[in-house]
Amino acid sequence: MRTFIGEIRPSKLALVAALLWAASAVAQSPNAPLPPGEAKEKAEAACLTCHEARIIVQQRLSKAAWTKELDKMIKWGAEVDPKDRDALIDYFSANFGPDQPVYAAPKSQALSGAKSKSKH
Amino acid sequence: MGVAESHKSLAVKSINQVVFNHLGGENTVLSRRNFLKTASAAAFVTSAARPLLTWAADPVISIPGKDGLIVRSYRFLDLEMPVDFMTDWITPVNHFYVRNHMFPPAKFDVSTWKLTITGKVEKPLTLTLPDLEKIPVHSVVNTMECAGNGRTFQSPKVPGIQWGKGAVGNARFSGPSLKAVLEKAGLKDTAKHVQFRGLDQVPGKVPPFIRSIPIEKALDADTLIATHMNGAPIPAHHGYPARALTPGWVGAASCKWLTEITVLDKPAEGNFMSPGYRFPNTPGKPGEPIKPEDTHALTALTVKSLIAAPSDGAKLKPGAHVIQGVAWGGEADITKVEISTDGGVSWNPAQLGKDQAKYAWRLWSYPWKPAKSADSVIVSRATDSQGRTQPDAAIWNPSGYLYNACDQVKVYVQA
Repeated sequence: MRTFIGEIRPSKLALVAALLWAASAVAQSPNAPLPPGEAKEKAEAACLTCHEARIIVQQRLSKAAWTKELDKMIKWGAEVDPKDRDALIDYFSANFGPDQPVYAAPKSQALSGAKSKSKH
Repeated sequence: MGVAESHKSLAVKSINQVVFNHLGGENTVLSRRNFLKTASAAAFVTSAARPLLTWAADPVISIPGKDGLIVRSYRFLDLEMPVDFMTDWITPVNHFYVRNHMFPPAKFDVSTWKLTITGKVEKPLTLTLPDLEKIPVHSVVNTMECAGNGRTFQSPKVPGIQWGKGAVGNARFSGPSLKAVLEKAGLKDTAKHVQFRGLDQVPGKVPPFIRSIPIEKALDADTLIATHMNGAPIPAHHGYPARALTPGWVGAASCKWLTEITVLDKPAEGNFMSPGYRFPNTPGKPGEPIKPEDTHALTALTVKSLIAAPSDGAKLKPGAHVIQGVAWGGEADITKVEISTDGGVSWNPAQLGKDQAKYAWRLWSYPWKPAKSADSVIVSRATDSQGRTQPDAAIWNPSGYLYNACDQVKVYVQA
């Protein structure tokens, strides 16, 4: 026999759990974050309209190469205030230079499990 | 546990499909209604089965139809096949790599899709999907590889998607030959190149993804307007409803979401013909720029092999093992794969798999029985019918194309 309390408590718990779970789902963006830094917000505004940050964070480039990339992207529509250009180049070079360890990319979820390796 | 697990995976699948919908090419949002619906269905199982903190530290990236692939970029989508999946001759679509330069097409009604054939032709054409389906179907098993596959191994590092080994796969593509369609339109004498344009959505002021192939390759009976991949309509990630299929060539020659074919009297122009997708005529010094006039447009793939098993870093017991992998040569056939289990000092031939087709990779295998505990570097080296052999070091180039050094993995044999 279910009591009144016995019926209501699980649904309250369920609601709390649902909100927590959903909140983490929303925070759990499949797009990579950019690292902290003074130019972070400028970089987000300039770059992330057209692509996610993972395309940036996987690069390992010299300052000269970052300069070339940023200028190419400005030509391709990235909106960068000329007075922010040097700060962005410094931010990218400091975080994603040739001496940084290789970026470890995540994997997509294997939804179909063992069946995903079907034989032909 | 079993029940909780299966409920959990259903719930995870459900919410992710709501949140992360790629195929429309939209920035999808979680609607309040769907959010509550999925969240309440998921509530019990999640709180019981999966601690929130663990989940937060372990991002779940759900991409319907693409299982266990390495996410080089989510938006726009670039996915790589882990090399240990390369044990099948035909790569299942759910493991086939994805390379996008920009956003996929917005959702469209396929009944409104059309393909135009214009330019240096006698009779410009506009074809619908039913029109294409009336043309005899030809099938080609093709190993498709992104020109930038292996870019991450270039030294010094070069910009671009940092592909590891797996921007390559082998699939059966079917559809009318491009030649049949060009002949319907009637080529003028001045026809020298065939340009493709897809329905990709171009962000910002990015130049559109337009490339061309020479008329000789366009008229090859194996160059297709592919409507099917592995026997099913070509999936959205791979260019539904039709893509160019330029067999044996870099993936960029096989334009997805094809909608315009333009016959030209010279190569197409634009970023993706130059400076994009060009290779030095002669190898330069690593790290040094190369003048545009000293480069040529990429065409066919080169000779290459990869080791699918054992995995790099694997710990093995002494005893019988099978070293296996794949090898391909673009328009050339693989004639030999050699294996070294001592870091390239001595070599022995691998056995080539029975499945073969003109542009398809060959599976290969090599039985190995290490007798005692030792660290071993296993190396694979392919040779093709054009006499090309994989080099110890690939040719460095500023965009990191056609990386094809001998593949190697290190394994630890421990009794």
